[in-house]
Amino acid sequence: MASNEVTDRSAKPDAEASRREWLSVAACAVVAGLALPAVPGQVLPADAASTRPDGENLTPLPDLPEPVAGEDPILRMLKDLRRALKKPVEERRWVMAVDLRKCTGCFGCTIACVTENKLPPGIAYRVVLTETHGTYPNVSRHFTPTACMQCDRPPCTSVCPVGATWKRPDGIVVIDYDRCIGCRYCIAACPYNARYFDSGHFYGDYEGGQLQPYETVAAHEYRVDRVRSRRASPVGNARKCHFCLHRVEQGELPACTVSCMGRATFFGDANDPKSLVAELISGPNVMRLKPELGLEPRFYYLM
Amino acid sequence: MSEKTLSRRDFVKLAGATAGGAATLGSTGAFRALSAGEAARLSQQSTQIKYTADVMCPAECGVMVKVENGVASAIYGNPHVPYNAGTLCAKGAAGLQLVYNANRIKYPMIRVGARGEGKFKRVTWDEAIAFIADKLTAIKKTYGPEAVIMDAGDVTDRDTYWRLFFAFGTPNCTEHGAICDTPRRHGPRLMFGGKRVEPDVMRPVLLRQADGTLKNDYSYRTKLIVYAGWNPFTATRINYESRGTVGAKVAGARIIVIDPALSNTATKADRWIPIRPGTDPDLFAAILRYVLEHDNPKDPSRSYIDWTFRDKSVGWDEFRAAFQSWWAKKDPANNLQYFTLEWASERTGIPADTIAELAHSFGITKPAAFVWGMHGTGHHYNGYIASILGTTLNVITGNFDAPGGVIDTELTKSDKGGSATGKSFLARPVKRVVGGKEVQGKQDELHMDSYGDWPAAWDDVVGDYPRRMLKGVTLKQGPFRGRTYPIKAYILRTGNSVITGSATWRWQEALTARDGKGNYNVDLVVYVDTPFLESGLYADVVLPEASYLERVSLSDVYPSHPVIWLRDFVIDKQFESKTPFEIMNALARALHARGDTDIQPADFWEKYRDEADFWTEALAGAPGKPNVGSPLPYPRYPEGYKIIGTPDSLEAGRVTIDDEKKEIRGERVTVKWLREHHGVAVWPMSYFRYPGGILKTSSKKIEFKWDWTEATDKDAKRYGQYAKYNKLVEESGSVPPGIAALGWTRYPSTFYWFETWWNPYSNPAYAKYKKEYPFQLTSGRIHHAMSGTQMVDWLGRMPAEDTWLPINDAVTYQEVVVGADGPTPTGRTLRLPANTWAIAVIQMAASDARTLGLKTGDLVELANPLGQTARGKVNAVETIRPGVLRVAFGGGGRFSPGLGRNFYFKDVTPNHNDLVDPDDLSPIMGQPAYADMLVKVRKV
Repeated sequence: MASNEVTDRSAKPDAEASRREWLSVAACAVVAGLALPAVPGQVLPADAASTRPDGENLTPLPDLPEPVAGEDPILRMLKDLRRALKKPVEERRWVMAVDLRKCTGCFGCTIACVTENKLPPGIAYRVVLTETHGTYPNVSRHFTPTACMQCDRPPCTSVCPVGATWKRPDGIVVIDYDRCIGCRYCIAACPYNARYFDSGHFYGDYEGGQLQPYETVAAHEYRVDRVRSRRASPVGNARKCHFCLHRVEQGELPACTVSCMGRATFFGDANDPKSLVAELISGPNVMRLKPELGLEPRFYYLM
Repeated sequence: MSEKTLSRRDFVKLAGATAGGAATLGSTGAFRALSAGEAARLSQQSTQIKYTADVMCPAECGVMVKVENGVASAIYGNPHVPYNAGTLCAKGAAGLQLVYNANRIKYPMIRVGARGEGKFKRVTWDEAIAFIADKLTAIKKTYGPEAVIMDAGDVTDRDTYWRLFFAFGTPNCTEHGAICDTPRRHGPRLMFGGKRVEPDVMRPVLLRQADGTLKNDYSYRTKLIVYAGWNPFTATRINYESRGTVGAKVAGARIIVIDPALSNTATKADRWIPIRPGTDPDLFAAILRYVLEHDNPKDPSRSYIDWTFRDKSVGWDEFRAAFQSWWAKKDPANNLQYFTLEWASERTGIPADTIAELAHSFGITKPAAFVWGMHGTGHHYNGYIASILGTTLNVITGNFDAPGGVIDTELTKSDKGGSATGKSFLARPVKRVVGGKEVQGKQDELHMDSYGDWPAAWDDVVGDYPRRMLKGVTLKQGPFRGRTYPIKAYILRTGNSVITGSATWRWQEALTARDGKGNYNVDLVVYVDTPFLESGLYADVVLPEASYLERVSLSDVYPSHPVIWLRDFVIDKQFESKTPFEIMNALARALHARGDTDIQPADFWEKYRDEADFWTEALAGAPGKPNVGSPLPYPRYPEGYKIIGTPDSLEAGRVTIDDEKKEIRGERVTVKWLREHHGVAVWPMSYFRYPGGILKTSSKKIEFKWDWTEATDKDAKRYGQYAKYNKLVEESGSVPPGIAALGWTRYPSTFYWFETWWNPYSNPAYAKYKKEYPFQLTSGRIHHAMSGTQMVDWLGRMPAEDTWLPINDAVTYQEVVVGADGPTPTGRTLRLPANTWAIAVIQMAASDARTLGLKTGDLVELANPLGQTARGKVNAVETIRPGVLRVAFGGGGRFSPGLGRNFYFKDVTPNHNDLVDPDDLSPIMGQPAYADMLVKVRKV
């Protein structure tokens, strides 16, 4: 029954401490035999690079009435995004911005990401930290959505012994699951706790023992269709947020961005001065996490 | 690294989420159909996007589901539905784990053990339907059809079931509204004929422009929102209040949240005012008194009241006089004059100057919205008063239906249902023998609430069903008064009344009570649902209903203007589940075959070929709202006429104008039309849609009085929302017990006041409990994991405010899953480590915990003065008012194995409704006063 055992070596009692315990159950633990390297011969991209969309396969934009006194942020960002896709990849600078004044703490982004990327128990690329300060009645609570910061000077890529993770010209830090050997150096190197190890658990393990149907559907990360199984990548690999690169290159916004209940999440090409996100991150109310590390994260917060 | 083009797989997938219509940008695209190419694209690919309506909660957001090779693989918001505008909360996104849950009811089952034991056997649909039809037929013959309750439960899509049971002959069809928050709706209902006052923050809204075009307006106009006992960020019931509140705030609005706990909404407020539970009417009354006393039209800094409201209303003088009649009186609870700042401060625990500032801010800031909520007002015995005062405050300050003010969304949403719901059957003449004499009346006049103990309960009294199950119904009003009948069948569909419908133990008692011969009092209990919740354990027959991704119906929500969207087939029905439409027809056929002449083929299977037929009939009157307000929705058509038909036909002028009926009739909205338009129909917004217009009061004005008579030359006509009930009471001479307990002999004709129960700070009758039971127990909504969705793993892993927290102990358990024969051990042993799974906990002020020597994680027992107890772990935090405990409604003590992992924590998580007083039913509408209770805490 070993494979059914739910174990957790990382559980911490302090609920505010970090991301791992929220969605962590368990599955951060390594179960012998499951943490296998990739199996050669399966879906094998040479690496996780991009293919330019041809522009004809883009889904139509939402069909909304003309705006007045503002605009639909999703439609604006989609137009920004599609404009960026017409440029060479080197000229795109993908960034994300979260307006902390508008995050309602619903955790919708977390689940939207989990479903989009078919993430297993123990892995959530997009985690919302909750902090509470003060004593009654002078209390405040803050929600801080986090994900891979896509640092311009990423500390995680250089430690990879097999060159399985690198920064793309458009700024997204990617992982080639077929090269990754699961050594977890990159997980240790990330100061934002943004990288996870896929230990091979399934949600079905926890309820009835059968895979749930959506767990049998391919995830499309890095535009590679992979049906996750216990014996193949990405099980046994490091995993992290990639700004939904597979969606972005098909002209769609990241899943967290579209779902956001407070319309607090923004995404786009910071190199395009006309883009919404470029406009937002040029304001005086912008900060980034751990700026003192000098890693130049591409994940901005509006205060 | 440079870009590389790789030859990989064929990526001809509709990877994107926002598959939309094919119109070019800048068109008035909301009315444009999918192009042929787009439709083909959607239908041919192995990956499809399907538009539908959520049912993870009653927000019913417009969603797009990605379906890959027949499997629903991700859920996104539908950007074409302005209600949620593409957004989706955690619960909405997590729907896959409900639809594909291991604990779904898979097959029809019949009980083989005792009720509550959870022993079932799988049967065929034919066997299950025959079992139900035989019982119903026998019950109808012996006791009459009114002995059957059809409770369409916690989510929407009630219409098919209601139609069937109205046709069968019972008037006793209900849904969850009755145990939701009826006192909260009372003020708008009395004064507008509406129900639900919400701030004008739904953006975009579709507005007619000066140049005649329709455009989506994104501007926030509100300058102040007061949320009292309302937590929209966590409830997400009114989806747009999440993005709308923070959007308005960033645009400059001030947000004030009044709540005993620091709710998620309070985290974004400019000011959090922690109020003592159950004192909202006290606060609202003090605000109104302050506004009335300090209003000065000549002083711009004191000009609170927009006196033009008097032209649009009736009864203000009477209302004001009744309100002011309390001002000089002294409250026995504190020896202070009613409604003064000091009086309210004493009761609410809020400093007097804070109340004055709040009253001044609301009075002077325009536009502003004063919004009260479910837990704060709906769950207290006297919640009506808060609701009436809140409605009044919005009206007199000029904020009702004003841009940036409040909107009664019950009055502005699209009509739906129509004759499909079967309400016309209620007018059928029926005969019954009463006191030896045959009496004729209408089917409706057999209603156990409306003609029994609760004539003014517009939404039925589910919380009082157990009493009627145990003691029977006695009709006290109307033609059949004096008639008694028992409750012999309880058909529960997607509800879980054992956990949510007042005290759990009272429901258990009612459903398991036996007569002298050992038979159950309630002869037939049927449970129809997708998940297997506690009430299912008490059922004789369990039917698997198709999940919301497997059926057709319509949204039923509260947008600021008419918007309606389709729930549609997304995936194949799982296991042997059937849709509500199929269940209606199957049961109708079986009853008809047993000789029930009330059930006619022409009303059911011959009338509706398929689900689309049924729901198209329900759309017949949509949107059904008058062409009124500013800007006028359709300036080309007569003002005041009712608008019916598709947005595109109305826009294109393909209409008939009926001057006699005063209707503008375009092409009818159909299921087909919705399918061709991203699943949604959107009609224009306008403001100031009254008087006349949208109001549903008897005078067509805002009514501050609720029973009055006006004489004309010919006769006298009676007006007001209570008039009808007072007429019944006058005829019968029988005062309903709810109001008799208040010392009333009739429903009041204007402002009234009475105290809530179990509150020692405002009701002297309970002062004696203050010392021994020092804590007020209130409930909080944990949207993630309420009654019907706790089996969803993703939601179970996430904390919610301070009442749902991963502080479980490690457990090792033998897994049980709902199988073909009900709950069945799988043979697997599972271990869940400590601190990995969110469970319902008791939120307690850290200072209180210190006093009691408790810390977070300690197991305690809560006991109330009725001798009832519940256990749970303490969460000692700074985020709640001392003296108050908050427990998640429906969160703990969950004893159905269908709940997944939460089942294994049932003994260490509190069920709020183990502690509710089942006799504390609010006096006019019978809503259980869930949040009126006192407890003491003991460490165990």
